[in-house]
Amino acid sequence: MTCGNPNVDEQDALMPRRTIGKHANMCVKCKEPTGRVFIRHSVYCKDCFSIHVVQKCRRCLDPHINPTPSPSTSTSTNPKMKPTKTPKRTADLRASGNLVLGYSGGLGSAVLLEIIDKWYFKSISERDGGGDKGGKRHPRNLSKVWEKAYVCYVEMSGVDDTIRDTTEEIREAVSRYPMFEFVPLRLEDAFDPAWWARITGSATLPADLRIISPELDLSLPSSSSPSSSPTTNPLATLRTYLTSLPTTTALYTSLTHLTRLLLLHTARSLSASHLLLGTNLTGLSVNLIDGIAVGGGFVVREEAGEVWQPNADGKGQGRDGGEIRVVRPLRELGMKECAVWAWWEGVGVVGEESVPLKGASIGRLTKDFIIGLEKDYPSTVSAIARTCGKLAPKGSNGGKCVLCERPAQSGVQAWKDRISIREFDGIESVPHISTSTSASPLPTPSTPSPDSDPPLSLSPHLCYVCHTTLTSRSSRSTASSIAGGEGLVLPLWAREAMGRFVPAPLGDAGAAGGDETGAHRNGAGVNGDGAGVNGDGAGVNGDGAGVNGDGDEMKSHVNGDGEVLVRRKVGEDEMRERVGAFLL
Amino acid sequence: MAPKSCALCKKARAMLKRPKTGQQICRDCFFFVFETEVHNTITEAKLFSPGDRVAIGASGGKDSTVLAHVMKTLNERYNYRLELFLLSIDEGITGYRDDSLETVKRNQQQYDMPLKILSYDELYGWTMDAIVEQIGRKNNCTFCGVFRRQALDRGANMLGVDHIVTGHNADDIAETVLMNIMRGDIARLGRCTSIVTQGEDTIRRSKPFKYAYEKEIVMYAYFKKLDYFSTECIYSPDAYRGHARAFLKDLEAARPSAIIDIVHSGEAFEVREEVKATQKLQQTCQRCGYMSSNTLCKACTLLEGLERGMADAGITDRARKRLEAEGPAPENLRTIPFFRPTTTPGSAASTVEVAI
Repeated sequence: MTCGNPNVDEQDALMPRRTIGKHANMCVKCKEPTGRVFIRHSVYCKDCFSIHVVQKCRRCLDPHINPTPSPSTSTSTNPKMKPTKTPKRTADLRASGNLVLGYSGGLGSAVLLEIIDKWYFKSISERDGGGDKGGKRHPRNLSKVWEKAYVCYVEMSGVDDTIRDTTEEIREAVSRYPMFEFVPLRLEDAFDPAWWARITGSATLPADLRIISPELDLSLPSSSSPSSSPTTNPLATLRTYLTSLPTTTALYTSLTHLTRLLLLHTARSLSASHLLLGTNLTGLSVNLIDGIAVGGGFVVREEAGEVWQPNADGKGQGRDGGEIRVVRPLRELGMKECAVWAWWEGVGVVGEESVPLKGASIGRLTKDFIIGLEKDYPSTVSAIARTCGKLAPKGSNGGKCVLCERPAQSGVQAWKDRISIREFDGIESVPHISTSTSASPLPTPSTPSPDSDPPLSLSPHLCYVCHTTLTSRSSRSTASSIAGGEGLVLPLWAREAMGRFVPAPLGDAGAAGGDETGAHRNGAGVNGDGAGVNGDGAGVNGDGAGVNGDGDEMKSHVNGDGEVLVRRKVGEDEMRERVGAFLL
Repeated sequence: MAPKSCALCKKARAMLKRPKTGQQICRDCFFFVFETEVHNTITEAKLFSPGDRVAIGASGGKDSTVLAHVMKTLNERYNYRLELFLLSIDEGITGYRDDSLETVKRNQQQYDMPLKILSYDELYGWTMDAIVEQIGRKNNCTFCGVFRRQALDRGANMLGVDHIVTGHNADDIAETVLMNIMRGDIARLGRCTSIVTQGEDTIRRSKPFKYAYEKEIVMYAYFKKLDYFSTECIYSPDAYRGHARAFLKDLEAARPSAIIDIVHSGEAFEVREEVKATQKLQQTCQRCGYMSSNTLCKACTLLEGLERGMADAGITDRARKRLEAEGPAPENLRTIPFFRPTTTPGSAASTVEVAI
């Protein structure tokens, strides 16, 4: 290839061809001069390459198939993948549940499906018609590693009218693998009560919680109909959710989280023990850098592999408490290796429908950067994955984020407040403002009035990434659109998780899980819900407003346990209802 | 359209949009929040004790000029009771450092702080001009970086200070996090977000601007009309760092919080214990007494390579082996003076001549 400059001698203008060693076509494995592909300093022939790819894939997957000897060591709070001792034979592999494979139609998932089918299932199906030849340890006579296998596909066409629905094409592609049952999902299922009821088997829907302010305060459901849900049109709800996000980066991050959680919750409903994803080395490096760039340093380890556990109230989804291992078996294979393998093995790739994003996003920029860097510095992608593999989270774990269901570092809100001052509230003196003003904190919209409930905020229940996703604005926008209209409806799993912090209707106060309610309310001086429900979940306070007869007196006091109790005015109907609970 | 009022004080007219938060605020509120955030960083990390002697690494550029101004302001406002010094390193780059040192000398007058200038020529017998003449522009940043680090420590030791503060900002740290991940430098990745670093025998070194955006530092210098030198180094910047910097700028344009988000990420992870166990332990350089992870420190290795006409000996393993194959270093080899840390901080100060 020449540089195109007619004044330069063609010989000088030719780019020097990169040399690949003395024995350019000598296969590194079989040492025969039949090498056909050059992968990171090594030449492989077609046969050896095919084996090499399958071996690498198995090396990443096999150690994670069998349950760990001690399940207690593998918890969601410390989700480091603790591989078991790698079984030497496939005969020794036995998963505790079913298999779900996340399929997008792209290169990685197509290659993964082919390998899993060929290596872990083909011998089984052949055995069915293969008679009883061979001993019981012969691969042909092995029992299944997973009892059942499913391919899950999340259709993204709900994001935008311009995206084509490819469910049927995917279904056709998956139909080539009869051992796998196809489970189509749609992105809007995250807001679809029917889907939630189907996968949880519960008739009770999570409370209708919406974000109503840029500070991520939530609206509480009305006490008359706590479980009613107006989200009858999941598609419209999804679009409102996505269009309300403050940046393109937030949209990209949210799509990733929604897809991941849809797959995980579906996998749980299918009694799966493993969710396999077709992320290859290049994709993993992109995800790792993207994760770090959006503030996800605390969960960098989860990008490569995680053990996900549903919330404690997992609706009895039996097996191992619903624990699911998310494994990326192609994480040591680069994009080029996957592409060559797919070509030689004749694996069909449907192709992913790209979601049109207006404006630059961190995810897209990272992808372009890493793929560009891989061309000039081919070892960069493996260096990224290798380096991130040596990292561990630092600091204490503050529980699980309700939105992305990954570990959340504690103290992130305090950290954010300290390093960037967004209001003068709480600062003792501001020199350039008069003393009288600075002495009394400037009024903020979120200050609760004495006769209103303090708002339930989503912020304390979010990880750094999700909080930043919902609040960080682009340099162009001036106001957040997140609280526009009727508020932003949360995905169903987040509503379910936040439901534990919603105060129960007064007659049902004892069942509200009061200790958590009290611990997470963020109204100043309020312990519990400020409506007469004590923080210890014991029900109505002995001296609760309205019960002691002087309910019009709104003031707070500290009880013997150091708890601050607030009195408030209650209406006649509410009063009658509460008193009624004590009448014979 | 009516002018917007400041999002913080709600009174004055908003003059600028803060890169860090996106808020539209007035000039006085910007000064206040910028300084207060640095104060929060200092107090949260407990960087200083009353009476500490602190050297400000001053290059004459925007970061160190703003740092000197802010340190002086905070020292007076919050009564830190610090004794502040300016410490400059003269790398010997004609047309760049000589001009920027003029700015530092003016800063010395403006801020009324003692100034100490230590040159590479004085310490190593080489200027960067001479080094570049021998090795070319490739890898010259390796020499400059290694030599500067040690020179700062030695200069601070001469001043008898307890602490060095440098003008590294959030952009620098975010860029370093990305770069260390991409090139697999796990040892540096583990420490690059630490606000304070200190070797066994070296002086505490910290970065009060760790959470300050570069754009805000420029904005502060501009609105305060500070006198700083704004030319980039004339020798080519590190190409790999250039990649990381360009990428970071793109990320910042997509979402301004990206810089602080990366810094947060860097603080939220650490190197796994089993990996730490495989890292080299710190020891003392046999030749110059400075901290080192090998028998010879990096500066001595680089200097030996320069002196023996094999400048890449400190850069690649192959060149290092070639140098070793040529036999031990000659006895008359020029070396760095032996490093003897000041045992009692402050005791050396009276013996050092500083420009006031």
